[in-house]
Amino acid sequence: MKKRIIKALNAFPKERLIGALSSIPLIAATTMSGACGASCPYGLVNDPYPGQCPRYLDLNSDGICDLSQLAATAQVDQTTQTTQNSNAQPTSSAQGDDDEYTIGTGDVDDQGSGNVSTITDPNSPGFNGDQTALDATNYHVLPISILLLAGYFFTHYLFQRGILKPKQHKRIWNILVTIGYTGTGITGMLLTLMVNLGIRTAYNQGITFWHAELAILMVVGTLIHIHIYRKPFKRMFKVIFGLKSSKRINSVKSPPSSK
Amino acid sequence: MAYDILIASVPVIGSYFYTYALYKIGLIRKTLHVNFWNFIIGLAFLFSGGAGFLLLILMDMGIVIPITPQLFYGHVEVGITLAIVTVFHFHCYWKSSLEMVFMRKKRTRT
Repeated sequence: MKKRIIKALNAFPKERLIGALSSIPLIAATTMSGACGASCPYGLVNDPYPGQCPRYLDLNSDGICDLSQLAATAQVDQTTQTTQNSNAQPTSSAQGDDDEYTIGTGDVDDQGSGNVSTITDPNSPGFNGDQTALDATNYHVLPISILLLAGYFFTHYLFQRGILKPKQHKRIWNILVTIGYTGTGITGMLLTLMVNLGIRTAYNQGITFWHAELAILMVVGTLIHIHIYRKPFKRMFKVIFGLKSSKRINSVKSPPSSK
Repeated sequence: MAYDILIASVPVIGSYFYTYALYKIGLIRKTLHVNFWNFIIGLAFLFSGGAGFLLLILMDMGIVIPITPQLFYGHVEVGITLAIVTVFHFHCYWKSSLEMVFMRKKRTRT
């Protein structure tokens, strides 16, 4: 078997292989956004305050999330250039039509003229704007998933050892999955209504956060739910798609016929 | 961006009442009605939950793909369907759900 694989690899022209492999990053680069860290993760355009996601960032104080602004990428590039230039000069400024950035090496100092806003050098110890945004978007996907799976394995072990009754085991996970669905559903409906009705409160980000957190519980809980009820789950396909004759399935539950 | 709540909810509610009526009349068995809606909730979960999870991972990694807005829109629309079908799921298993939550014992006919 190994020889066959080696033969097949040798038969395949190496130039083609290298060409195909080198085209992968090119395809990935063209399909993904050029500014991975500097564009809206939801693809929203001009998302106003307080924003639909916890990554809301408004450094130019125009009431619109900088990440969702179409010119965000260009502005960020411009800012990067300005920062590089600032190594030579202590303070420099980049001026646009509406937005003005002043990159300095000192602390926050509002210029107070029109839309001019000052942002602190990210390298300075006082800067924590982006850090706050990063903290807010930490949804703890892995820790919650691992905790839930560990909890399931633990209760499953107790159930197999006879310490936990099957009904109690099912009850624990059914209640958890219900909490997940109810929480995700309520927060999701709230967010949808808020977006549709144009309601924008300071709670939007908190609701989004809890929607994501409870959704993790919902997803992992559903997978556990399917594992607990795996037999009815398999039977579901048999009933709907008739993988086995429906008469046989029905005969299981129907009263025995008189022979 | 506005989401269509009625488009995602009215056909589902109508279909549920239709299959429920068929079961009540006796044209279909209860197992078929229940399993059909179990299948629908599974599909809705697969799409809405899958899209949500994908968006979450992409957002954590800071990646934006060209279909992100469409994926987000689809996630919300199917999420509305999922929320409604979840209510129907509770309706289908109402008695066993109550027993499970309140640890009530089944009544035996004497």
